[in-house]
Amino acid sequence: MLKRSREKAASELFAALYPRLAGWCRRLVDDDETAHEIASEAFTRLWARWTAVAEPRGFLYVTAANLVRDHWRKLERERSAVRRATTEAAVRPPPEQADPSVRLLVQALPERLRVPILLHYYADMPVREVSVLTGRKEGTVKADLHAARELLRAHLRRSLDHTL
Amino acid sequence: MITHSDEGPDFDPDDPLAVILRPASDYLGPPVGRYEAIRRRASRRRLLRTAAGAGVACAVAACIMLPLRLAAPDAPVSPAVPLAPPPASTPSAPPASPEPVRPRPTERTATPSPATSESPTRRPSPSRTSTPAETPTAPPTVSDEPPRVFDEPSAVREP
Repeated sequence: MLKRSREKAASELFAALYPRLAGWCRRLVDDDETAHEIASEAFTRLWARWTAVAEPRGFLYVTAANLVRDHWRKLERERSAVRRATTEAAVRPPPEQADPSVRLLVQALPERLRVPILLHYYADMPVREVSVLTGRKEGTVKADLHAARELLRAHLRRSLDHTL
Repeated sequence: MITHSDEGPDFDPDDPLAVILRPASDYLGPPVGRYEAIRRRASRRRLLRTAAGAGVACAVAACIMLPLRLAAPDAPVSPAVPLAPPPASTPSAPPASPEPVRPRPTERTATPSPATSESPTRRPSPSRTSTPAETPTAPPTVSDEPPRVFDEPSAVREP
């Protein structure tokens, strides 16, 4: 009986959150397959935990954000390896620099500012929820968001200056 | 002092940031069978974690118990019957002869039946029955010595 109700709750949670989480991931990784992989891994970690997670949505998004960051780092390592291997890439700047995407802008943020931005803007979570998830005070989260926006704005301005 | 709006963003709608930081609105439906696959993978991982936890617990328990086991004294020694020295009153003679063995059975048979009281006249007290050190000592002294005494006068053979 308990198992069946738990299974039902898990199924409902999956139906409600997976499409949105996977869509959010796709926006960050620009690849359907990777987005599915990341979203699936986040759900796997949620359900493989010993204790029940009090806030599954927040847990899923933070886990997905960490996985996205790992994916970016892996991509960056591969890119730098390719850049080192080929002389052509060293002469010509990579195309992402000319047209900065959300992904690159978020990637440029320090770790401390990245998670609040990801959760607040991309996962559409209120500041209070972000503060609970990150373990920071609400005022700190607001200050982090503000600092992140300023940094992003500066990055954006710089990249626009490059394109003009 | 930081002064910015808390919930709402502090940029205009036509700010490029507003476009970049818009909330995710696109959805990506799960492929067929993805839910079951995730559930299976999660349960497998949970099982693995349980096994690993049990293994670690066993290893820790072994690490704690082993030094204690080694430090503790060996198996409890069964209390051995102390070998009492022979009583000072009796003459010390080697109880090696087979003769002392003989009196023991007679003594045992004798003690339960007090009716046959004639043969064990020398040992009337039943309390002295079982001590092995005492029983052999008394008879041997009597039985051993005579042969030697008889052997010595070998003057018969000399001529």
